Amino acid sequence: MGDDVHSLSDELARDPASLAFLPLGEVLRREGRLDQARRIVVRGLERHPHLPDAHDLLARIYADEGEPEKAFDEWDMVRRLAPGHPDAAKGMGFICFREGRLPEAERYLQEAQAGAPADERIAGALAMVRQAIADTPAVAEPPTIAMPAMRMPAAAAEDPRFLFTAVLTDDDQTALLLDRDGLVLAGAYHTWDGRDIAQDVGAQLSGVSDEATRATRHLGIGAWRSITFEAEAAMVAMAPTADDGLLVLAAGRATPLGLTRRLLDRCAAHARAWMEGGA
Amino acid sequence: MTQSPFATMLDALTRQRGVVAALVADERDGIVIDSRVHVGQRGDRVAALAASLYRKARMSAHAAGLGDVGFLQLEAEMGRVCAVGRDDVVLVAVATSDANVGLIRVELLRALEGLA
Repeated sequence: MGDDVHSLSDELARDPASLAFLPLGEVLRREGRLDQARRIVVRGLERHPHLPDAHDLLARIYADEGEPEKAFDEWDMVRRLAPGHPDAAKGMGFICFREGRLPEAERYLQEAQAGAPADERIAGALAMVRQAIADTPAVAEPPTIAMPAMRMPAAAAEDPRFLFTAVLTDDDQTALLLDRDGLVLAGAYHTWDGRDIAQDVGAQLSGVSDEATRATRHLGIGAWRSITFEAEAAMVAMAPTADDGLLVLAAGRATPLGLTRRLLDRCAAHARAWMEGGA
Repeated sequence: MTQSPFATMLDALTRQRGVVAALVADERDGIVIDSRVHVGQRGDRVAALAASLYRKARMSAHAAGLGDVGFLQLEAEMGRVCAVGRDDVVLVAVATSDANVGLIRVELLRALEGLA
């Protein structure tokens, strides 16, 4: 990974008009070096302002940085430059969903699905959005007197299945928060056909934490903090949470081990805040 | 005295900074096949626990549809356990917290090739 950064940086230094800023920005983003990634891509966009993939990359960097409005604007730009771009519509759909704008989320995700009908993550997200719409109580007649404050739609922004959506911005990442019995508290895990198998995956993986507790106790190396393993289909990382719960993160097989750990830390902080806020 | 076929790989592992034990164990029963442990470490116990942990992770990953397991790392407050496995044999390294996991991983994966 470090070699990639060096060779791409060299290439960009030799030819500032090169498109090497795209893979370089992507590598830096995946390494969590978001500030550097953003600067590289913004500089590249100065020379290639109409490149959809550059705007898409910048949108994902903004999303990683927790700047959904900027990310939304960049993806909007992508759609203007390349109508039907599935990643742009998908990103905008996720942002709308997080903000509780369910009909818009559904519209964008439908558009994304039309562009990438085989993408199981889009299908899964669309299924969840539709479920959330179905679960949302009908809105009452508007009151004739002013409400003291705007009410957020009773919608998906509060849905625990989407707790980690703000942290996990790549399609191939998912996280689950389990209680001490291995039951899912938050998060989701979808198959290609949109089925949520979080409960099954959680039940299977939670057994590893019991084994870890036993091992660390007998080895006398203190409490365990994390377990990471490289499986054939995913990188898996786990960490204990309050009340003997367990956080499980699965990321694409290409995700570097170090980045998996960083994502786990971010998910753990998110879960902690949610548990404390929801208590 | 006959040297075990794992001697070279275990020696290479224990040369890594922070590694206090390196073992080859049978994944099914956790019995030590060969080991290099520093004073104060009980090889049989380490092997049994690490093999059990690896086995559990492998079975869980299979059940969850994630496929085979390669490198595994357990990180604790005062140390870490790293393991790789193949064909019912697990190669384990126990290390201190300040050990370089990247190097241990490379060494374990290299050693795994030798288990083939």
